[in-house]
Amino acid sequence: MNEWQIAATVLGFALVPCLVVCVVSDAPGALPAFELAGVLASTILVLLSEGFHRQPFIDLAVVFAPMSLVGALAFARLMESRIEETGAADGKPR
Amino acid sequence: MSWREVAALVLVIAGGALELLAVLGLCVMRDAYDRLHYVGLAGFGALLVAVAVVFRESFSLIGDKALLVGVVLVVSGPVLVHSSARSLLRRELGEWDKKADELEVEHK
Repeated sequence: MNEWQIAATVLGFALVPCLVVCVVSDAPGALPAFELAGVLASTILVLLSEGFHRQPFIDLAVVFAPMSLVGALAFARLMESRIEETGAADGKPR
Repeated sequence: MSWREVAALVLVIAGGALELLAVLGLCVMRDAYDRLHYVGLAGFGALLVAVAVVFRESFSLIGDKALLVGVVLVVSGPVLVHSSARSLLRRELGEWDKKADELEVEHK
């Protein structure tokens, strides 16, 4: 196991607290954990590609980094309107 | 071990430590606004890891792509933090920016 794989493993374990915060916290508190998990996952893919000398892994990271940004922006936008509390997209109670 | 490998190792350790610090901060902070600060920090950790790959592989295909990922993560960090904070604020206070504009018009 080389140093890149060790670093990927350590950061993989660092994903667990992010998952716990996502599950335990309310929606606004979980959003930063979700965004941080995206950054961690991109870094892990870069480390794995270097550790195994496999180029396809870094292609995954190149795709995953902008997609996690778009996903997080979509979650943030949807979170404005309190959908999970009211059930209505405009924020008014049903 | 050449100096390039030593530099790459140091950069990987520094980048990983920054990301672990960001995760630690996320767990310690209780408020969503406080937690948002650590999203940008993790992006710089990813950039350090990407620079480590460039030190090891030079500007090859894998090095260029790693650098691209690092730059995307660093640039997207503040954008993400700003948009998330704005969304959380609008969730709490409604459309506060429009209300502020109306108040400004009334004041004039």
